[in-house]
Order: sequence, then structure tokens, then C-alpha cells
Amino acid sequence: MITSHVHRDRWISVAVFLTLAAIWQVLSMVYTAEAQPGEPMIAGWQVLFTNTFLAMSDYWQGGFGVPAVADGAARSYPAAFLAVASHSIDTIGRLAIGLAVGGAAGLLFGLAVSWSRWTRRLFDWPLQFLRTLPLLAMVPLFQLWFGTYFLGEVLFVAYGIGVIVFAGTVNAVRNVPQIYIDNARSLGASRWTLCRTIVLPAIFPAMRSTILLSLGAGWSAVLGAEYLGAQSGLGYIIVYAQQFAYLDRMFFIALLFIVYTSISYWAIGRLSARWLAWAPPSQRR
Amino acid sequence: MNSAANSRMIEIVHVNRTFQRADGQMVKAVDNVSVVIKEGEFVCLVGPSGCGKTTLLQMVAGLLEPSDGGIAVAGREISGPGRERGMVFQKDSVFPWMRVIDNVEYGLKCRGVPAAQRREIARTYLERVGLGHVEKAWPRELSGGMLKRVAIATVFANGSRVLLLDEPFGALDYVTRHQLQSVLLDLWDEGGAAARRTVLFVTHDVDEALSLADRILVFHSGHLVDDLAVTAERPRSTDSLLLPDMVAIKHKLLAHLGLEKRAKPLAIVQDGAAS
Amino acid sequence: MTLVAPDVLTRPSPSLLSRARILLAILDPLRLAGVVLFVLVWQVLTLGLPAIILPTPRGVVERLVADFWSAPALSYYGVEEANLYGNLIYTAENVAIAVVIGSVIGILAGLLSARFGIIRAIIDPVMMTAGTVPILVAAPFLLIWFGVGRASAVCLVIFYVIVILYLFAQRAATNLDPVYEESARTLGATPAGIVRDILIPATVPEILGGLRIALAGAWGLEAIAELLGSQSGVGKVLEVLAGATDPQGIMATLLMLGLAAIVVDAVAAFAVARTAKWSAASR
Repeated sequence: MITSHVHRDRWISVAVFLTLAAIWQVLSMVYTAEAQPGEPMIAGWQVLFTNTFLAMSDYWQGGFGVPAVADGAARSYPAAFLAVASHSIDTIGRLAIGLAVGGAAGLLFGLAVSWSRWTRRLFDWPLQFLRTLPLLAMVPLFQLWFGTYFLGEVLFVAYGIGVIVFAGTVNAVRNVPQIYIDNARSLGASRWTLCRTIVLPAIFPAMRSTILLSLGAGWSAVLGAEYLGAQSGLGYIIVYAQQFAYLDRMFFIALLFIVYTSISYWAIGRLSARWLAWAPPSQRR
Repeated sequence: MNSAANSRMIEIVHVNRTFQRADGQMVKAVDNVSVVIKEGEFVCLVGPSGCGKTTLLQMVAGLLEPSDGGIAVAGREISGPGRERGMVFQKDSVFPWMRVIDNVEYGLKCRGVPAAQRREIARTYLERVGLGHVEKAWPRELSGGMLKRVAIATVFANGSRVLLLDEPFGALDYVTRHQLQSVLLDLWDEGGAAARRTVLFVTHDVDEALSLADRILVFHSGHLVDDLAVTAERPRSTDSLLLPDMVAIKHKLLAHLGLEKRAKPLAIVQDGAAS
Repeated sequence: MTLVAPDVLTRPSPSLLSRARILLAILDPLRLAGVVLFVLVWQVLTLGLPAIILPTPRGVVERLVADFWSAPALSYYGVEEANLYGNLIYTAENVAIAVVIGSVIGILAGLLSARFGIIRAIIDPVMMTAGTVPILVAAPFLLIWFGVGRASAVCLVIFYVIVILYLFAQRAATNLDPVYEESARTLGATPAGIVRDILIPATVPEILGGLRIALAGAWGLEAIAELLGSQSGVGKVLEVLAGATDPQGIMATLLMLGLAAIVVDAVAAFAVARTAKWSAASR
């Protein structure tokens, strides 16, 4: 019964996406207005994967024996491919480094603050305030501090992720059942062993949602930072294309973005599900 | 057998413990309790809810500090938990993120026992509690009774000389409870009378106390109100509980719990430990 | 901002939920000491850094007080409202409009999807995707379609609120133990009565929890939408101040935005506590 429902639902979701793609195609054929000569407002799939993709060559800076369009070369598939790849790497690199730095710092700081009830209360209000400050509104401040180059964006992403992981860690440690700590202590665990073998695994089910939440915040932060001043990355291409109303290019990059974020969620979900093999299904979902 | 000094395994001397209630009022959970427990004794702590028996057990475990007074185990005053005192909790305390065998090994691992050796010890005790076949299982795959077996195997594997059990079987069904009582007694008795560990066992259940204990301490409102020796032969059977001595003790216990009309007025027992 | 797969929606922190707790927290000297320590660390940092990087806490607060009612420099940079107050109101209006519209649509769709499998099967894939992809990716499209102004920013926030409340409402209705609806039916309740007396009251606490999360994200999203293209609003103020390299002004504006978000969240928390006294979520 249940499996057949899951099966049916999977087919329906495939059908939904196919329908949306088809509607898009029909719209592109019905509504043929152009934002600029040769730049349709709604680009059909045949345009997106040929002309639009080729146009990505414009964002290639040159190198690997493939010259840049800006230097007078014609648009070419290798240049387009290299452009998409290099800007994707910039975006994903910012996210990955920010995730690693912010995640590690947030976790360590969160564990340190959770050391005692006193430290937790001491840090409670400043933490609440930092968490309530709207992250995306802070882009200008970080750019002022660290510039619009790699460092500024990475630190912004790391900050956004760090605050969420920090708050999540403090909350998760507070909710570790006392009985596990008592039991480990009565079996002779030292404070360090307690932290490593009891607290860390015990907070993991709660941390899973924090990690996914911070992943979302990380993607938003990267995009926000790239919209507002970065000189590379997928977000940069989108706003740059927007200034010339190249809707097809924006749409192409947005699709790419959807693919990347979905893969990142899927990967983190799979990975954490493996680490949570011990947990009852209600905590694993 | 045991030297005179060693035979005083647990000494509880004028111990008090007060708590502050949410409304700010101070409550005495344990009020000037003194008692000496000999090595190898199986002692049950009995009393109505809120009488202070669990608080006393947690102080012996080192999870709570006495507000006043002192507790010594094997002649040394305790501070904090220690591996010579193993605790089995009322609720499930088996770590869900470790496989069954890793749970049983945990105490040994904390002490730095080499992997091969601790695995062997853990296997032995898992076999003894009848769980040899599930050593690789996750705790979530086990029933409540099996989890209690894991907890018991863990404290025995850790080699604690003193076992502290806080209503360990309270949440189990009748049949499982009786099975686990005999598992516990078998492990306790495994090396003969001389090798027995000292047990403090908190329970609500009068029959459980009668079938397990050498000695029953009765608590009421934080006071130690009675100290009864249970001399019936081991192993005890259903018939043991019908012996005249046992029936007499049962009547006393029920009276202390307020379940019998013929109750004598409560009297505070001054135990030898106060000397 | 973005949201997440439905299983990871975290409950709002219960710390602000009951009035007694709020009072206790305000009176807690250790928490106050934490704030003092935070300001002190900031003050110490300013000693080593130039004011163009990190202004003093006092300077930021004074700037906020001064600019709140009147900041002539802003009109010079092309902001319609030459004070922080007017821009905050503009931003808050947009957030309020978007949250009201978005939550009505999101809650209805979520509740329906929880009770009708086919609706769920159709909407779920779209909402799940929208829940993982940052809604921000839509901002440049909205700017082209609706132009620079209120509509594109509000639209962006509406999308975000719909997705979050859809997932929260759906989860709340799905997780509701069927025993309540069954029991009501055996007691003779009509379908409409079940919706009115069981489904809505039982799911309100969780939905309001989702509303708080949606509100928290909405401020940032509205601000960045204004940063990307607007004539008013806190985001526009931040944009011109960033252009003028004025960290003191930026931090004063962020402080104001943060305080506004905290006040609104506290009001929402109070509302949650009032409507859900029976629930464990209102601890």
C-alpha cells in the first residue's frame, strides 16, 4: 500500500516537472517578444541549450588555450563550458570554504559556551541579537570590511553559517538527556571523553537540521554576496545579465543553481543519514 | 574472609540534602541519615515516592553532593562519580549511538583497557545476560527488558565493587521483571558468597525487596525509619515469601508504606554508623 | 533567504514564549552582564581599529538616535525619505503585506495538501524544490518583470513566506494524531466542525511557530531586495551608506533593523503563547 503510494507520488513529481518544462516551451512559442534583438523574453529549451549556452562564452576570461570573447574570439562551446565551470567553482568554493570555516568555528564556540550554565546565560543575549540581525542585510558591512573579493564573500558566508551552527549547538547541547551524561560519568568517563563520546553523538540528530538550515543560509549568503559586488560566480553572472535584460542567460544560470542546491541537499542528507544509522527513524527522516 | 575495615563497604555519616523548590522554599530530601553497609550485602531501599531514597542513591553514586555529612566507600570519602560504583538507572541509559557491544565496553574504554581485552570481557557479560546474539545491534532494535540487560552487563563488565540500582525494573512488565531479577542475582552470586558485590537497590516493590535483599532500609520523609534483616535462605522461591519471618517483614513494610491499619508509629532508627 | 526540507524546520526557541520567562530573563544579571561584556569587547576593538572600519558602540547608538527622525544626507544621496524612521516603516509595511498574503496562501495550500493526497503529490515537488533553492535567485527576474519598486520586493518575500508556511502547515496537519478527529467524529462532529474545532486549533501553535521563522527571514530578504533596486526602505539606506563608505551609518541602520526584528518576534512569540496555552510548544 504505502510503497505503491510512494511509487505513484514519484511518478507524479516527475510528471509535474515535465509539465512545467512543457508549459515553458509552449509559452516560448506563443509569447515570442524579445528583450533585445536575438534575446527572447522566454527562451525555449532549444534556445537555452544552444544560443544561451554559447553566450556563456562572454563570461570566459581566457586561458587553457581558449581565448576570451572580450579579446575578439568567436563564441565557442569550449569557452562556454569553461566559463560555466569556472564561475560554478567560484560560487561553490565560496560556499564550501565558508561552510567549513563557519561550521567548525560555530561548533567549537558553541561547545565552549555550553561548558556550564553560567557561560550559556552570559552569551545568551548577544547570541540572540546576532541571530536576529537579518543576515542578507549585512552584505554591505562585510564588503566594506573585507572588500568585494574572495575573502569578503567567504567570511560573509562563514559568518552566516557560524551564527546558525553556534546557536544550534548551544541548543542541542542543552537538550542532551542528563541520564546519558550521568551514566557515562558513573562509568568513569572524564570531561573530555564525555564531550567526545557522549555530547557529540547525542547532539547529532538535532544538529542535522541545523546543518541543513545553515546550508540554505550559506547558499543565500553566497548568492547575496555575489549579487552585490563580487566579480565572479553564478550570482555575478545573473545580475550582470539582468543589467542587459538577458532573461535567457539569467534563466539558464538559475536552472544551474537549482541543480547545484538540490545536489548539495541530497548529498548532505545522505551523508547525515549514514551517520545517524543508530537513531530511531523519527529522528532520522 | 574480609578484614574488619574492608567489611564496612559504604559508610553514610549524618548525610543531609536540601533542595530549593521552584517557589523558593527549602525542602529536606534526605535528613540526617547514617548507615553502614557491609561488603557483599544486598541492600534494598524502600519507601513511598519522595522519601529520599533515590536522592541518597544519587549521592552515593556521586551525581549529587550532600548538603552536609559525608559518604565513604571502601574507607575513602567519595567526591564525584567513580568506576568502583556502577549505576543502573530507572530510565533507559544505554547510549543509542553505540552498538550493544560498544555500550558494554564503554567503561573499560574510559579506563584505557586494550581493545581486544575489553571486547572479550564485554562478550562474556553479554553472554551472561543472554544477549550474546545481538552484540552488533543498535539499542533502538532492542526491547525495554533487553536494554536493562545491557545496562546490567555494562556495570558488571566495568568491575564495580558497588552496584547502585535506581528502580531499575520499575517500568517493566511482571514476567520480564522476574527474569531480570534472577539475571541480576546470578551475576551477583557468580563467584560464591565471598566474591559478592555490594548492592544498593532502590525499589517500590515490597515483594521485589523481599526476594532480593539481605537487608531492607525503609525511608520516610527523608528519614531512615527502619532497618530490617532478611535472613531467608538463597536461592529464594515463591515459597520463601510465605515463610513466617518473611510474612512478618512484609507486614512491617506495608505498615511503613501506610498500607496496613495495624501500623506502629514511625520511629527513627539510630544505626551503628552514627557511632 | 532560503528554507529547507520539511523535516528540518526547527521549532522556534521557547525561551521567549511565556511572560514569566521573559521577566525572569530580563532580571537575570548574568544575561545583562553578557550584553555589557559584548559592548565592552566591541569598545576595546575600536581602540585598535580605525573608525572607518569599526565605529564605537556609543557613536553607533548616537547616530541611530540622530538619524532616526531626520537624516538630511540621505535625501542628498537620492533616498525618498530623509530619515531612518520612514524607511523602516516602508520596509515593515512590505514585510507585513508579504507575510499576510504569503501566509494565507501557504497555510491553505499546506492544510489542503495534508488531507488530499493528490494535491500533495502535485504541489510537493514544486514546494520542496522552492524550499531548497534560495528564493533570492528569483530577485533579478522580479526586477525585470515588475520593475524597481515595492512590487518586486513584496513578491520575493511572498514566495518565501508561502513556502515556509506551506511546509509548516502541512507538517502540523500530518502529524496531528488521527485519534482526535476520530474521537470528534464518534461524538457526532460534522466535517466543517472537525476543521473548525480540531484541525485549526490543533495546528495553530505549530503554524504560528512557522510564522515566526518566516518573519525572521522576511526582514533580510526584503532588505536585500531593496538593496538590489528600490527608492526607499532600509535596504536602500544601506546601499547609499555603503556607497558613501559610512560604517557607522550602516551599523546604526542594522542595529535599528535588528531591534525592529526582535520587537516583532517578541510580539509574535507572545501571540503564540496566548493562542496555544494548552500546547507543549508554548512551554
